[in-house]
Amino acid sequence: MSARAAILARLQSPAPDASQAAALLGTPERPAVDATNLLSEFLARLALPSVNASHDVIASLTDLPAAIARYLADQHEPLTLCCPPDPRLDVCDWSAFTLHATAAPDETATLAIARTAIAETGSLIFETSPTAPMLPNFLTLHHIVLLPVAAIAAHLEDAPLPGPQPRAHYWITGVSGTTDIEGTYVRGAHGPRFLHVILLRDEFPHISDH
Amino acid sequence: MSSFTTRADAALADPILKIAVERTAGTAQAKRAIAIDAFPDFEAARTRAAAIKDHVIAHLGPYLEQFEANAIAAGAQVHWAQTADEACRIVIAICKAANAKTVARSKSMLGEEIGLPHALEEAGIGRVETDLAEHIIQLADERPSHIIWPAMHKTSEQVSALFKAKHRTPHEEETIAAMAQSARRELRGAMLGADVGISGANFLIADSGAVCTVTNEGNAELSLVPPRVHIVTAGIEKIVPSMPHAIHMLRMLARSATGAALTQYTTFYTGPKRPGDRDGPEEMHIVLVDNGRTKMREEGLAEMLRCIRCGACMNHCVVFRQIGGHAYGGTYPGPMGAVLTPALDGLAPNRDLAHACTLNGMCQQVCPVKIPLPTLLKGWREKSWREGLEPTSMRAGLSLWAWVATRPALYRLGTAIAIRAIRLLGRNGWIARLPLAGGWTRYRDLPKPAAQTFMNQYKQEQRK
Ligand code: SF4
Repeated sequence: MSARAAILARLQSPAPDASQAAALLGTPERPAVDATNLLSEFLARLALPSVNASHDVIASLTDLPAAIARYLADQHEPLTLCCPPDPRLDVCDWSAFTLHATAAPDETATLAIARTAIAETGSLIFETSPTAPMLPNFLTLHHIVLLPVAAIAAHLEDAPLPGPQPRAHYWITGVSGTTDIEGTYVRGAHGPRFLHVILLRDEFPHISDH
Repeated sequence: MSSFTTRADAALADPILKIAVERTAGTAQAKRAIAIDAFPDFEAARTRAAAIKDHVIAHLGPYLEQFEANAIAAGAQVHWAQTADEACRIVIAICKAANAKTVARSKSMLGEEIGLPHALEEAGIGRVETDLAEHIIQLADERPSHIIWPAMHKTSEQVSALFKAKHRTPHEEETIAAMAQSARRELRGAMLGADVGISGANFLIADSGAVCTVTNEGNAELSLVPPRVHIVTAGIEKIVPSMPHAIHMLRMLARSATGAALTQYTTFYTGPKRPGDRDGPEEMHIVLVDNGRTKMREEGLAEMLRCIRCGACMNHCVVFRQIGGHAYGGTYPGPMGAVLTPALDGLAPNRDLAHACTLNGMCQQVCPVKIPLPTLLKGWREKSWREGLEPTSMRAGLSLWAWVATRPALYRLGTAIAIRAIRLLGRNGWIARLPLAGGWTRYRDLPKPAAQTFMNQYKQEQRK
């Protein structure tokens, strides 16, 4: 008998119907979020010491390069940026930057676009696709994230899209940190040491509209 | 003297160990308390989490089949292993087929449980532990002493000396931040150069076939995205029906483990790289491991399969705080380890773990899935007794106690005499030496008993 058959033979039971599993969720206990004020709720969580991210607000997408330049100048970093191959960013004037699509092992700054963000925790939600690589967001020292204000949702349950899942769906809530030595918190353990969110007030087209 | 007693004795005599354990466990306990105070209704959330796990465990077979079908549909390959050896053999075969020279491992307690680090070594495959704590213990050639902070037993001074001896460009400044940077420099290249990435799973999502990992360091993603092959080894009890169920469990896990609302990096992997993707592995393998879990389900330990490996029970355990994790001798320490180790490694060599417990109930109170740990421990004690594994001195002593205890007048007389005798030995409410209890009083004082027995006091109260 195969291992699979042997294990399953010991675990025989009627298949649960989906309503049983759904009933277990009911109204899950979770932190309250003021749904009428998602932006300020989100920003409050983003500023918590555990998340420790900075932010900026821009009116339109064309303001994005200037906002990134401001941030990098403040950090005394050069205008070099690992940029995802997302056609929606083509409207921006990147002439002041040295751009590249593949992250170096010691990449300084990477831009990523969050599909949504969660006010409950201050999390940024990403998905992989041909225009959204994953690795640059973990190699970089400064993680710069573009987030349309309209995309902020209240609770973690709002994060996943229904239907088939992307190859990787990931939630980033702060910077890479560790408490492995004597429980003392250190930021920049393996991945980003800095997280900077640039909030976009304008409407932002969905990737499939391109 | 049994091996656990020897190890616990050695641990008690090690003052540095106690400082190290106290620093991390103390912080964890304080942070958890703040997080739970801020949560709307943690008690109801625990009941819900336990019910979700019980539902999954009752229907484990169908859920595993559903998970398997969805994972395969997403392009992953699913393997099944009944034992630890079988699981290791499967992992090694995948590594060999991929011509792997080095693997990057993201911390997984299941990996430790099945002895994967050792199996990789035997197969001549280089292993890079990428979690900072696992990296520390790999350099020190030690075993994890805690399921969340595997290097909890090490002080910063010890870590500093270790990195200076083993890192190519070690830290110069004596700060914990500088030490972490030294590890970052050392590990970055190793992660990017690995042929295979191996992880565990915090949750397996049945209705999508996704595998969820959580880390605060981001080392899972750095270990699992660059290599050509990603292997997941997961215990079969890690299933949840859907994402909303996983979300409820994630809220419980982060708060119970570190006191955070959520871990920094929470990732759901569904199959290998897709057409057009710029990164991600070409192959994804998921090894579903039983290793005693079906037996636990059949033999009265189903509740233990609720465990989400948060570590709260050990952080709050007075015994763990005194002796640290290594004294328990198995992969899993603390109260959950004392229940799991006899199931995984046999009762006879581990029967005394069930006695490493004061039955104060703290572990059960903090457990986010309400596992009745003290009851399960008592179950092991009883089984050990029934199977004649308890030493004869204990059996003789307890038989005498049973004989007296069933004769109430005699029992009351005996305890009253004992209390008076013990009080004579006490000073300022504490007893430093007690005949026949030297093992206990050598490293700590015993509280002086109350002036009267509980039964006497209770009767007086009733008369008022
Ligand atoms: S037994 Fe409970 S408290 Fe202990 S690790 Fe498991 S889930 Fe956490």
